[in-house]
Amino acid sequence: MSSAPDNHAMNCLIRKLESIAPLSDRSRQAIESLPVRIHKLDARRDIVRDGDKPTHCCLIIDGWACRYKLLSQGKRQILSFHIPGDIPDLQSLHTHTMDHSLGTMTEATVAFIPHENLRELTARHPGLAAIFWRDTLIDAGIFRAWLVSMGRRSAFEHVAHLFCELYLKLQAVGLAGNYRCPLPITQADLADALGLTPVHINRVLQEMRGKTLITLRSSTLVIEAWSELLRVSEFDPTYLHLEKRATG
Amino acid sequence: MILRLQPVQVATGSYDVDGQLVFADGFLAAVLVKLSGYHEDMAGMWFLEAGFGWVDTPNRPTFTDLDTAQAWIVQQLADAA
Repeated sequence: MSSAPDNHAMNCLIRKLESIAPLSDRSRQAIESLPVRIHKLDARRDIVRDGDKPTHCCLIIDGWACRYKLLSQGKRQILSFHIPGDIPDLQSLHTHTMDHSLGTMTEATVAFIPHENLRELTARHPGLAAIFWRDTLIDAGIFRAWLVSMGRRSAFEHVAHLFCELYLKLQAVGLAGNYRCPLPITQADLADALGLTPVHINRVLQEMRGKTLITLRSSTLVIEAWSELLRVSEFDPTYLHLEKRATG
Repeated sequence: MILRLQPVQVATGSYDVDGQLVFADGFLAAVLVKLSGYHEDMAGMWFLEAGFGWVDTPNRPTFTDLDTAQAWIVQQLADAA
């Protein structure tokens, strides 16, 4: 068994959890003592697949991942994007069979935490159980927001909405600031996430650049006109529940 | 299945405006638009801007040329029959 506590790995989880609710010292220490197995993964590799029954949860330490569903003829819907600190398959602790896949988008470093250790942690620390529960609820709120965007926003508004969401999520865990954030997502990925075609994504980005709303180059997004992006997408950050942090 | 093409300018709201109306047995089945230089790798390809009935697929393919596009449209209509 190569599992051992790893401070750096757990720091990024702690930072994420603290963006949701305060942690007690006791909770923090308990998280730091979780045994983990660290793996470095290539880009575009599955972490868990549709139909799997995992025995570990996967914490993202570095890099980006996405949940996705694959249908016949290679039709892919990306369901959500995940960044360091996220445990995208936390639900596998309680719903034993995966109903979607989780894969890396970039090269990534992940930590696998055995289910039995997470169960013990949440049993001994009800405060942590509550934070994981809250995180799952926020996850659901993000799905609702994506549903609204998918159904009722124009392509332009939809892309703008996603950019606002990603910037705020990254900023909440210290990975973005000054209206700049990493965005290691291809146009094909954006298309698969937003239910649009790469052609529409291309057209929207062209229009956004033309209006000097954004600059997008070398996997970095620079938001040139934050208020305008918020206005155009009717962005209401309530669903992210980042009350602890100010926007901007 | 006879397809007939008719050139048309399409108000896509982008630089992609050169298009073709595609008629199948006298009915409008699709609108194809040529992708402009802005699309880099896809520049010059034909995009299914709009499809009707069985040509109205959620995935909008791009085609290397009009022949490939027409073959695909014919296939969609054949699958429906």
